[in-house]
Amino acid sequence: MLKNKRQLVVLLVVLMISALAAPVRAQDGEELLIQPQPCDEPGTLTMWVWDENWASIIEDSIAAWEADYCPGAEVNIEVTPWGQYWDLLRTNAAGGDLPDVFNMSQTFFYFYADNDALLNLQPYWDEFGVDTSLWGSGLVDPYRWGGNGDLYAAPVNWDTITIFYNMEMFDDAGLDYPTADWNWDDFAVAAEELTVGDVYGAAVYLEYQAGYPNWIAATGTTPIVDAARTACTLDDDGSLEALNFLADLYNDGYMPSISELGGTSADDAFNFWASERVAMITAGSWKLTDAIDQVDFDWGIVQLPQNPATERSRSIVHSVGYVASANTENPDLAANLILYLASDEGQRFFAEGGNVAPANPSPAIQQLWIDSFGDTDLNIQAFVDATQDSQGVTVFDEIWDPINSELVVLIFDLDFPVETAVEEICSVVEDELP
Amino acid sequence: MTLIRGIISRVLNLFGPTPLSRRKALWGLVLIAPNTIGLFFFFGVPVLMTFWTSLQQWNGIQPAQYIGLENFQTLAQDDKFRDALTITLKLVGYTVPAEMVLALGVALLLNIPLRGRGLLRMAYFIPVVTSTVAASVVWTNVFQPESGLLSKIVASTSWADRKWLTDPKFILFPIAAVTVWQRIGFDMVLFLSGLQAIPNVLYDAATIDGANRWQRFRYVTLPMLSPTTFLVMVLAIINSFLIFDQAFIITARFVPGGVLDSATTLTYYMYERAFVDADLSLGYASAVALAQFAIILAITLVQLAVQRYWVYYEAGEAEA
Repeated sequence: MLKNKRQLVVLLVVLMISALAAPVRAQDGEELLIQPQPCDEPGTLTMWVWDENWASIIEDSIAAWEADYCPGAEVNIEVTPWGQYWDLLRTNAAGGDLPDVFNMSQTFFYFYADNDALLNLQPYWDEFGVDTSLWGSGLVDPYRWGGNGDLYAAPVNWDTITIFYNMEMFDDAGLDYPTADWNWDDFAVAAEELTVGDVYGAAVYLEYQAGYPNWIAATGTTPIVDAARTACTLDDDGSLEALNFLADLYNDGYMPSISELGGTSADDAFNFWASERVAMITAGSWKLTDAIDQVDFDWGIVQLPQNPATERSRSIVHSVGYVASANTENPDLAANLILYLASDEGQRFFAEGGNVAPANPSPAIQQLWIDSFGDTDLNIQAFVDATQDSQGVTVFDEIWDPINSELVVLIFDLDFPVETAVEEICSVVEDELP
Repeated sequence: MTLIRGIISRVLNLFGPTPLSRRKALWGLVLIAPNTIGLFFFFGVPVLMTFWTSLQQWNGIQPAQYIGLENFQTLAQDDKFRDALTITLKLVGYTVPAEMVLALGVALLLNIPLRGRGLLRMAYFIPVVTSTVAASVVWTNVFQPESGLLSKIVASTSWADRKWLTDPKFILFPIAAVTVWQRIGFDMVLFLSGLQAIPNVLYDAATIDGANRWQRFRYVTLPMLSPTTFLVMVLAIINSFLIFDQAFIITARFVPGGVLDSATTLTYYMYERAFVDADLSLGYASAVALAQFAIILAITLVQLAVQRYWVYYEAGEAEA
């Protein structure tokens, strides 16, 4: 009975918030961050996305755009799985035949921008009166191009990193649950205490976004490559401090090797955690739904620990963007659609769909996203808080994956000293820099 | 007019001396035309384009630029290309002898009339028709440290802690294992047909001369089988030179291309330059492909030249 009442209350709260967010066009006191505009002339656009779930959300929002802002327009959406998306995109780019609007990742943006394949959206932002600094810098900086820092993409979403921890293991070890103000020393103590039998304390180094670069960022160093893409930063003091901190935990036996995890993907760490072999992992917001569905032990979410010297907890953020082709026949219409998809109204569809955290920083939209996970005690707010002091992606193209995997395998599997591994990797990285 | 007619009849004469044989030949040509045209467009044209592309600077998105032989000059001083060549040669060394010896052994055993021979032959052939990708995934699981089948089998030996899939010292073994496993069936079929072509009368004569089982194998089977052995060897070397899928799949779970490029074969290097690197270069990748082709061609020509010293053809066919 009580449970039902609670659900009813939550439902009412959700309804109230939706009621606030829904009539966004009415502007009843609510300050809108981005306001859609009616299009000048309807037409036909092609659009590519790589995620099926996104496609259905985008379809819903586009239907609203067509109805309310651009009657008569038509958008043909094509879904290509991530694995083939980039091959296909590159092939089409070579043929000068890109879709009018498509999803872009920060890691691939450089290649397309560098080859003049993308439409500069900055004139449209100016025309629509959108101040591009409204988005957190980690979300948009990697999408800026040219001397004036023109913004070529509209961010769709953000992904941040937090720590997932197994509450039952904390209870067994007699430890208090971590809070947002914990630091690396607290983390190291917890990792040690939580290592019992064949259960490890932590696995927090895997993969670029979810792994060791977060720890490097917390020292104030830009991970791997500096923002201007001129130098490898892995041999900077901050990087060495972070990598040595993690390597010590590994060498002391509090973190599993990559061979034990079974691979170099962040999912390998997640599965290890979900099967109760490790107490704490770094995990991205994209894993929330899986964790809620699959995990049957009690677990919690907390922000990454702070570096004791800088007192900063920093998350690598990645944001998927909408971009338009430089060769589109309908640049005005493409920009109008992108504006709508980035607007408070268009982002509502993402927020309600869950799974994808909407880029639009309006508190109402963010709350809508948190509420989309239903009645839960989980500290989902930690992911939103992690966007505050976040670090954008500085890596480049597909070559980054092998280089990154190589670094972690050298340190966390083949037991290379950090300095030796970093030297190896920096020589590879500097080879690849433009 | 007479000139044209003359040319046509000249061309037609190529197909045979009589009108009937020419007509037959013409039909033959018509019947193979669909395949030939397909082969030409989907195989011949890309091959020819590779030559052209190798002279260009082209990242696949901006217009190609003609740069002459610059790609080949870079290639001559490319350490990574040399490393990839070394790795490829190592793989050839690991796989070719192993698969030939094993295939010959299996062929000899399956040449003995025993019950269920057909079934066994089929069983050995199944890997050949299995997708390399699927086979590689299975083998990756076998070699997986900690949880893999192999590490369970060798759990009590010094091999137990070997990191087959990450350690540069060991990564070539899983790749060689899949390759050998997949090729044995094919080589076995060739060896079987070679074995069956050896006339029994030779064995009978040898037996009468007092040759024991080993001597019959050494002095009858091996020489008589040498043309097959030669064929198998040439094919095996070419195949091992082109190893890609196995290396790609087996290294994908940890470090694509192997830690410190330890599994970057020539074909993998070509792929990396064309589709993975930050500064893509289809022109350079084409140059790598052509260099690879030239090396394989050279090795095959050397084999052809050397074969006369060890390959035995009946009735002096070696000259043909």
